[in-house]
Amino acid sequence: MASLVVDNVTVDFPIYGSQKTFRHALFAKTTGGFIRREGDNNERVSVRALENISFNLSHGDRLGMIGHNGAGKSTLLRVCSGVYEPTQGTVKIDGKVSPLFSTSPGLDGDDSGYENIQTCGMFLGMTPEEIVQKTPEIEEFSELGDYLSLPVRTYSTGMLVRLGFGIATCIDPEILLLDEGLGAGDARFAERANKRVDALVERASILVLASHSDALIKAMCNKAILLQGGRIIAQGSVDDVIKEYHQLNQSVA
Amino acid sequence: MQPQYGSALADFIEGTLGWRMWGRLGWLDIKRRYRRTMIGPFWTTLSLGIFILTLGIMWAHLWKQDATTYLPFLCSGFLVWVMVSTTLIEGCAVFFSAEGLIKQLRFPYSMLVWSVVWRNVIVFFHNLIVFLLVGLYAGVSVTWSTLLVVPGLLLLILNSLWMVILLGLICCRFRDIQQVMSSILQLSMFVTPIFWTTDQLGKRLISLVDYNFLFHVVDIVRSPLLGKAPSLWSWVFVGVVTFFGWIAALMVFSRFRRRISYWI
Repeated sequence: MASLVVDNVTVDFPIYGSQKTFRHALFAKTTGGFIRREGDNNERVSVRALENISFNLSHGDRLGMIGHNGAGKSTLLRVCSGVYEPTQGTVKIDGKVSPLFSTSPGLDGDDSGYENIQTCGMFLGMTPEEIVQKTPEIEEFSELGDYLSLPVRTYSTGMLVRLGFGIATCIDPEILLLDEGLGAGDARFAERANKRVDALVERASILVLASHSDALIKAMCNKAILLQGGRIIAQGSVDDVIKEYHQLNQSVA
Repeated sequence: MQPQYGSALADFIEGTLGWRMWGRLGWLDIKRRYRRTMIGPFWTTLSLGIFILTLGIMWAHLWKQDATTYLPFLCSGFLVWVMVSTTLIEGCAVFFSAEGLIKQLRFPYSMLVWSVVWRNVIVFFHNLIVFLLVGLYAGVSVTWSTLLVVPGLLLLILNSLWMVILLGLICCRFRDIQQVMSSILQLSMFVTPIFWTTDQLGKRLISLVDYNFLFHVVDIVRSPLLGKAPSLWSWVFVGVVTFFGWIAALMVFSRFRRRISYWI
């Protein structure tokens, strides 16, 4: 049974500006005795993106993360996927994680549609056999026909979205991490895309969804957290958290 | 920062087992580079062939050497050199050029390392055609020692891996190192016996060869190609460097692997 335990997680991003280069690090060492640097903070600048985040998810949980831009939603998703190992605290991931932040990791414009199905599929954790098995499904959903044999740089934006979306949503996830950016295209496509996302979420044991939209979170989640400035300021049922979110919006406005 | 030996090793083992992925990435990289060209990766082979032929004949004449011994020597040495130096220079960018992937997905980073090394091994085999032609022309003898090319290449690959891990990590944090590396390698090409032979060097500067890792690592592939066995000293030297190099790479990797996604 899949589970995701985030325990007291803090994430600091080091900012390398002028002191990024080898020269400065070298000089800092060699001239350290002469030129004093003013304490640790002057040497290392960092931004705290998340602070003391804890939650616990198990099978059937659908967690919505809501918050303004820069609240830490994307960073927290990346922590859940294992892309960022937290500076403090621990993340215990039990189960296969499928992060869908962009629809097509490893997509290359010069490769054909079919080649990209292979590459992206493998990056999303499928075996070559599984991909072959899923290819007809992707062909059907993307409605690209013979275009799949052409380099994807010849595609229109809409076609590219359909392909990426078709690949990304054919996986069988255990722990699904979704950024709301998924889904676009014309009205007809949007409807089909929503259906596919619903089916994908259905297959997942755990869902973590980051979004600005309370409607989306209401529709898909059964738990929610509200993030602001890298901290959880509200946690609990979807309705309560969304109420908090609206209050926050009003207080800002 | 606490070293995490377990996760570093797990990364390497998982990455190695993911050969289908890095194998594919390596091939695709080459395919992309030469897409819509007529002769594809053989462009490097062709330009390398012309370079070696022109330079070889010219210098054999200048140094009054026999072209049938000098050409195969230059060709084999230069082929291996190109593989080593390109791997190292591309290895510097191994992590930071994969920013898009590293920020999207969790996967064993060593897979990227393998794909760089693998890509250059593929190119090496393309280029080997030049040597086969030169060898045929010059009548390079095939002996039992020729078989040593297999362990030689394997040892070279084993060394490429640790060097790419180490360089990739350092360059991820300090972007200047890539420039430093390309300058060092450019110089090393002239200091290492690629264009000239050890015999021409004389006694005074011989330590330039004896303690030159790049010479030994090139020679364990070059000598077998020429039908000769590399010296025992070369095997020992490369063996010892392999051992300590891997220890160093694993130590650094286990300490800073988890910082890669923050650094890029």
